[in-house]
Amino acid sequence: MRRYLVRAVGKELRAARALFLLAVAGVALGVGSVLSIQLLNRSALGAFAGSVRAVSGEADLSVLGWAGFLDERLLDEVLAVPGVAAAIPLWRAEAAVDGRADASLELVGADLLQAAVRAPWRLPEGELGEALTRRGWVAVTPALAAELGWRVGDRIPVSLGSRRATLVVGALVDLQRIAPLASRRLAVMDLAQAQALLGERGRIHQLDVRAAEGVAPEALRARLEARLGGRARVLTPEQRTAEAEGLLAAFRLNLTALSLVSLLVGGFLVYASVRASLARRREELGVLRAVGATRAQVLRLVLAEAALLGVAGTAAGIPLGWLAARANVAAVSGTIRSLYLLEGIEAVTVGPGLVLLAVATGVAGAVAGALGPALDASREDPRALLASITLEERVRARSGRTLAAGLAALAAGAAAHLALRGRWPPSAFVLALGVLVAVPLAAPAAIRLLGRAGRPQRLGVAYGARTLGARLGSSAVAAGALAVAVAMLAGVTVMVGSFRGSVERWLDATLRADVFVTTPSWRRARSDATLAPEVVARLRQAPGLVAVDLLRQVQVQAAGRRISLSGIDGALPGGERRFALLAGDPAAVMAALRRGAALVSEPLARKAGLAPGSRLAVRGPEGEIALPVAGVYRDYGTEGGAALVDLSTFARLFGPGAPSNAALYLAPGADAEATVLRLRAALRDHALQIRSNRTLRAEVLALFEQTFAVTRLLQVMGLVIAAAGVTLSLLVLARERRGELALYRALGATRPQLFTVFLGRGLGIGVVGLALGAAGGAALALVLVEVVNPAFFGWSIALHPPWAALAGQALAILAAAAAASLYPALTASRTPAAELSRDAL
Amino acid sequence: MRSSPLAALLAVALAGAPGWRPADPAHRWELPRDHHAHPDHRNEWWYFTGTLAVVDAPARRLGYQLTFFRAGLSPDPPALDSAWAASQAVMGHAAVTDLRSGKHVFSEVLWRAAPLLGGFGAPSDPVLAWARAPAGTPGRWTLRLEDGAFHLAMRDDARGIALDLVARPSKPLVLQGPNGYSRKAAQEGYASLYASYTRLATEGTVTVGAETLRVRGESWMDQEVGSSQLAPAQVGWDWFSLRLADGRDLMLYVLRRADGSVDWRNGTLVAPGGASRVLAPEEWSVTALSTWRSPRGVTYPAGWRIEVPREGLRLVAAPEVAGAENRSALAGGISYWEGPVRLTGADGRAAGEGYVELTGYGEGTRPPL
Repeated sequence: MRRYLVRAVGKELRAARALFLLAVAGVALGVGSVLSIQLLNRSALGAFAGSVRAVSGEADLSVLGWAGFLDERLLDEVLAVPGVAAAIPLWRAEAAVDGRADASLELVGADLLQAAVRAPWRLPEGELGEALTRRGWVAVTPALAAELGWRVGDRIPVSLGSRRATLVVGALVDLQRIAPLASRRLAVMDLAQAQALLGERGRIHQLDVRAAEGVAPEALRARLEARLGGRARVLTPEQRTAEAEGLLAAFRLNLTALSLVSLLVGGFLVYASVRASLARRREELGVLRAVGATRAQVLRLVLAEAALLGVAGTAAGIPLGWLAARANVAAVSGTIRSLYLLEGIEAVTVGPGLVLLAVATGVAGAVAGALGPALDASREDPRALLASITLEERVRARSGRTLAAGLAALAAGAAAHLALRGRWPPSAFVLALGVLVAVPLAAPAAIRLLGRAGRPQRLGVAYGARTLGARLGSSAVAAGALAVAVAMLAGVTVMVGSFRGSVERWLDATLRADVFVTTPSWRRARSDATLAPEVVARLRQAPGLVAVDLLRQVQVQAAGRRISLSGIDGALPGGERRFALLAGDPAAVMAALRRGAALVSEPLARKAGLAPGSRLAVRGPEGEIALPVAGVYRDYGTEGGAALVDLSTFARLFGPGAPSNAALYLAPGADAEATVLRLRAALRDHALQIRSNRTLRAEVLALFEQTFAVTRLLQVMGLVIAAAGVTLSLLVLARERRGELALYRALGATRPQLFTVFLGRGLGIGVVGLALGAAGGAALALVLVEVVNPAFFGWSIALHPPWAALAGQALAILAAAAAASLYPALTASRTPAAELSRDAL
Repeated sequence: MRSSPLAALLAVALAGAPGWRPADPAHRWELPRDHHAHPDHRNEWWYFTGTLAVVDAPARRLGYQLTFFRAGLSPDPPALDSAWAASQAVMGHAAVTDLRSGKHVFSEVLWRAAPLLGGFGAPSDPVLAWARAPAGTPGRWTLRLEDGAFHLAMRDDARGIALDLVARPSKPLVLQGPNGYSRKAAQEGYASLYASYTRLATEGTVTVGAETLRVRGESWMDQEVGSSQLAPAQVGWDWFSLRLADGRDLMLYVLRRADGSVDWRNGTLVAPGGASRVLAPEEWSVTALSTWRSPRGVTYPAGWRIEVPREGLRLVAAPEVAGAENRSALAGGISYWEGPVRLTGADGRAAGEGYVELTGYGEGTRPPL
């Protein structure tokens, strides 16, 4: 039997190369789409964990500030705690490399005299003295130096905030050696240099602690916390990674959900491919049984063949998934860096776990797809196998039951969601999954419905579409797969469109100032990227200026989570128009803000259960302060949550400091673009980004587009998979119905007529898939917009279906279905009349 | 010294050596001014060793060492607005040797001289040198000069030792060489300014493990300042500070080459009244009698015959404790032997006590000087 298997696969390859290759491609696409998303998902955290390892190395614990920074004098207290073997102060900030768009250095300023004695950084021989005494000395990774063409001794202009500094490449140190996933943009310099050239006297960001031999890090953590009395946080590297995981949770779950959807679609295609291949050979299996093969033998044969198909598809799918992931790294990395302020992804590596997942998807999907036909082929009475019609009758008879099962899945999803809502955020996805399961299960019924349409008189497109129901088995699977892809495509398109519409409306309502001033490093360095006093002074002299709004921002622990807290000018005339309030009276809210209250963003309000009247507990360097909540405002920028306070409240919490952003309000009629140019010229010595309202708006929207880049990858993959499904099932149809086609030919049908019949069948699948997909997509969009976004990201978005885009997609799908039918239609039209004699009619 | 950061520091500093001031043969000593740091010289140390008896149990004796090193990083420090901007490093080495149990405990610190971590007092400041205690221990290690007495304090809770001692000179300062200019090689330029208090009456407390003991005894103090001490061919030295029972004191050092041969040597004999005389090399000899192999695999000489025939001195110096090896994890794994010795005269009677220091034995242990 094994020998037969080898020969059978060989024969199958020769006889139906296109079909076999399509089946393998189907498996490969399914595996690839799952793998690519999973790769991105894992890498998102790998980069953070890698950088923790590369920077903190052998550190057992890190002391971190509640608001990101620490007083360096804490070092003495940390060193005094029994069980501490070493404590290394670190200054950390991401500085922009001037003159290189998007280039930046993740600077680590360490006490190199200590760090060199104790890993992780081993400087090259003789470098330490230089590092301490040569102004601007910095060690960069060989990878970055190679990328940017830097050599030892080169001067690098960098900026942090509006402040510029010149660093000198002192050494190339492979900081990624310890952790390959760590950022190649890591750069190390001495603490004194970092503070003096870019930072602030007395301020550090982290203290890395190593426990003495035999001292458990957990015990030491408790001791350190007791000693520090809440002035700082003490975390293990695992806890830091877990915290990053928490920050990224929604983003990653989103990716996971998308990959599950792609798994569903991919699995469908695998299933359809195998089924199609077996359906074609049903009679052959019948013959095998008739000549004495046992039921078990046939079952094994079929499953082994499917597994082979799965292996071949998986082998092709792994590189495919890797390529797809690589193509999307930049977009995902950009989102992680600018929205979550975490390390971006620089490398994707396929670990053994992911290979296992890919194999499981490909092989298990193929075997599962083969299970039905395999059981069918090993049925008791082999004669039935020789009469192909029985199977189809069963499918037709079952179409009602399948529909019922779909509706049941939908109901179950809804019930699960309702039961778990509020307690388990992913419950929203259960509902979405219910929709996606229900859609393909409705396909057989929909195709039968199509068959009830008026009886066309001529052989043509309409005839082809209407007679789809005659071969319900394979056409329903293809239509179902297409419907799932369409549902996903439509649902996500509507969601993205709605989000975009909401963001645009929000920007219109709140982006009021005429000129916005910030620094190239602000997006990543936040509170460390400040505007120098002379910059602010110069801004105040801008011609036609009515008011300047200054902003300070920190990432801070509040309401038990990490949020972005901003200080703004509460006394700004008309300042209440800077935000769209969801709750609270604008004038009263502004008055409360000036008196020390806080405004919380909608995501924060939802996730932390805050409302006007409740209190927001903020951990400042001096301990916890509970601020009254005066209102809730719309925000689509910070999924983790944000809050606003008056600058005076901010200073009370975090001490005095320079602002990081300024917004200028000009007199009516003033030329914003001209002011931008004039300010740029006047402040050319400072590292600044000065933009008009219009430019900033465009940049915010571009950032938004980037966030959804991965979704688009899935949309495209879904379409490709669905189109492949259409081709596959039509090819099966063309082969299975050779007899019927030959009969048509014998009765005088022309080749073009047969061609159009098949085109009609393809379009029929397309129409059914589109119709079902539209219904599913509408439901999915509702779930995503009304349930997933508020529950998961915390913001509410209004439904804005992008009709034009949807219409375009519908046309594209029909075109894809037609295009996918071309080859099978051509094959079918070439069926010679002589085939008639070979098939039992 | 391949991976020693201190060596790397000093190597760099040496490369810029023009900025450092060499030891001046015409130096005029001013006290107490000259007990304070000399930041224009690259290196400096304050070295205390002594043997102490427990007041409540005089049979129980302890040896101790406390040294503060200053290592210049750059003669022209960069102007940086940061408390971490430093042009020198401070290193502290301390050891307590229990002569009864033979236990030798070493502790060390190495920091940049910065307000949070360590430094050297200005001439108006009683603090000559200080360093933050090692990680896991609160407080500071300090060396203060007040009312003519040195106040020594160090603590290392992790290793369970602490010193809190007052050492008052009982004999005047001895300049080791003319004007205290101590040559270290035949070539010009290898020298230091070197002065010693050969006897300091010492009392206070020593902590060993759970015990804090009241102690009393005698110490020896060396202060040495320079910018280049070891000549290129030299790998280390054997150094002896001996307090003889007859009231005389003897200081000897031998600078060795890599093959073990003597490159340069020097000695001073101090009379009971404090008058000192530089010994010519042919006047004295030191012969090692045995060796000791440390757990780290370094073989040190152990036990010496010391002879100054013209002065009628025929002594045998025997280590009180064999394993007095200091292994520094911070200064790049450098190790040296520093321990108390017991002197026996030709007649076999006790002839005094002292300390011996052996550096540059084993691979990569050349002091970065």
